Amino acid sequence: MEVETPVSAQHHESGTSTPVGTRRSFFTRVTAIIASFIGISMAVPILGYVVAPAFHRRKKEWVPVSAIDDLPLHEPQALDYTVTIKDGWHETKSTKGVWAIKHSQDEVTVFSPICPHLGCGFRWDGQDRLFKCPCHGSIYDLKGSVQAGPAPRPLDSLPMKVENGQLMVIYKEFKSGLSEQVEL
Amino acid sequence: MGFSLYQWADDRLKLKPIEQTLLDEPIPGGASWNYVFGSATLFLFVLQAITGMCLSIYYVPSPDHAYDTVQYIQNDVWFGWFIRGLHHWGASAVILAVGLHMLQVFFDGAYKRPREMMWMVGVVLLLLMLGFGFTGYLLPWDQNAYWATQVGINMAGTTPVIGDFLVRVLRGGDTLGALTLSRFFAIHVIILPAIIMVGIMLHLFILRRVGPAGPHDDARATQHSETFYPRQVYMDAVVMLIVFLIVATLAYAVEFPLADKADPSDHSFIPVPEWYFLFHYQLLKYAPGPLVPYASWALPALFILCLFALPFLDRNPERIPATRPRILGSGLAFLVAVFALLGVSLRDLYAVPKTDPAIANGQALVEKFACKTCHRIHGDGENIAPDLSYVADRRPEREWHIRHFKDPQSVSPGSFMPKFPLTDSQLNDLTSYVLTLKSGGHP
Repeated sequence: MEVETPVSAQHHESGTSTPVGTRRSFFTRVTAIIASFIGISMAVPILGYVVAPAFHRRKKEWVPVSAIDDLPLHEPQALDYTVTIKDGWHETKSTKGVWAIKHSQDEVTVFSPICPHLGCGFRWDGQDRLFKCPCHGSIYDLKGSVQAGPAPRPLDSLPMKVENGQLMVIYKEFKSGLSEQVEL
Repeated sequence: MGFSLYQWADDRLKLKPIEQTLLDEPIPGGASWNYVFGSATLFLFVLQAITGMCLSIYYVPSPDHAYDTVQYIQNDVWFGWFIRGLHHWGASAVILAVGLHMLQVFFDGAYKRPREMMWMVGVVLLLLMLGFGFTGYLLPWDQNAYWATQVGINMAGTTPVIGDFLVRVLRGGDTLGALTLSRFFAIHVIILPAIIMVGIMLHLFILRRVGPAGPHDDARATQHSETFYPRQVYMDAVVMLIVFLIVATLAYAVEFPLADKADPSDHSFIPVPEWYFLFHYQLLKYAPGPLVPYASWALPALFILCLFALPFLDRNPERIPATRPRILGSGLAFLVAVFALLGVSLRDLYAVPKTDPAIANGQALVEKFACKTCHRIHGDGENIAPDLSYVADRRPEREWHIRHFKDPQSVSPGSFMPKFPLTDSQLNDLTSYVLTLKSGGHP
């Protein structure tokens, strides 16, 4: 390929030339612009790619836990169900349990199974019709209000809805030992 | 600020002489667009290194998770599809750039004395690049990756005496599986990069010691020369920009979806190697039984050996192309053969529309389980349950269908569809078929 002699070129003794003046600054500037363009075009996607998980909040999903017709009226039921937990690409199954009390076909109270006092699992005493925690003796009525014991707040109720005859729940956990409800 | 910081460092580290050595390298005959191929190759290599590092943030080299992690990168991570696309198309581009670089050096006779070593290191770099291509192809752990690698490894098995042993070493045992994946991963991301870095440094070291070749005739080369900076750097930068724009556009515009997850039991899958191995793949079709070993390993080995020893086989010191008809003729003959084979191979591949055998299996299952007793597909079947003619338009996600077949009510509460006793492979086949039910596509 024929190489033209630079219009303005500085000649060394060895016969080596190098462009000078505006010609030189043109090459330098174009090179810098291209380098910046490629650099930015890569830096932006890479930054997004690396920080993406930091902006990802674990989604709380509605999970069907039981057919509404299977629940007896005014009688607390312990419902176990399986949820899929997504940790990035990693999926694990976990079994959760909740207490559900049906008041009518579309009105159900759902309680977290964890005692708000210090995190034990409470039970239903069918004879006394009270929830009783075996660890420290906290006692709650059907509405979840504290009847006795050291519990600082009522039972934690969970969001629920009835859809297509299915009771749907969002599982949540709360800090224990506090008088107000603080979600974990 | 940038300037004074440089001053400050220069006062202490004496950077000026290094800067001069790097930038004021004389280019015999002056800067030229002919000399950009090496820089373009190096640029693409760096791009591969950067995107590769990014991919390793989420990738897991285990048969349990590899496919899921690549899918996660592709679908869930911001710009994941772009980074993966750059790495995929960059791999092809770097092979193409190496090819053009070698052609230019071959045509200009730049491999001749005193640059024999630079050429030989270059041939080793080519082999390392192909090694990257071969090991990287397995990592997504989809059907294509699995079966193409199976074929590649078996080709190594035709080597006499050590063939069987070689296959066992490559696989890490009897079968292509977890151990193969982890060693291919280690080779691809740790071992080869370490080796190739040394190779690239050696290649550049020799370049700086011997100097660029310049024009064909010495008279013109000695008459005039020009410093590397700024004009050659500018030309290299312009070409890098063009290369980057091409690769980025491909990554942006051309989807490169994963095939199904690798299924070692599905022997009906027909793998296709990367395009740069296709000519050899085609060659193997013409080699009758007893000649297979010659086509699969002896011929390539002989070719690489000739390529490596080229500076010593071609003893003609002349560099002007017109005076070297024999060597350029044989180079041309090789290129014609390669492109003819590539052409035939591509024609064969695209003449027969590739259909996944899973689709046909899935279609048979629709009859077997009498799905059309309730569903209608393109006018055939009862209209009791939803019409499935275009179900993939509404539900394009594979995962949804799998979950739905396993337990219809889990994703579609209130549905009266029964749970069918499907095996895992039936589940996959049926889903593959259902996903073809979309507007514009038919099985």
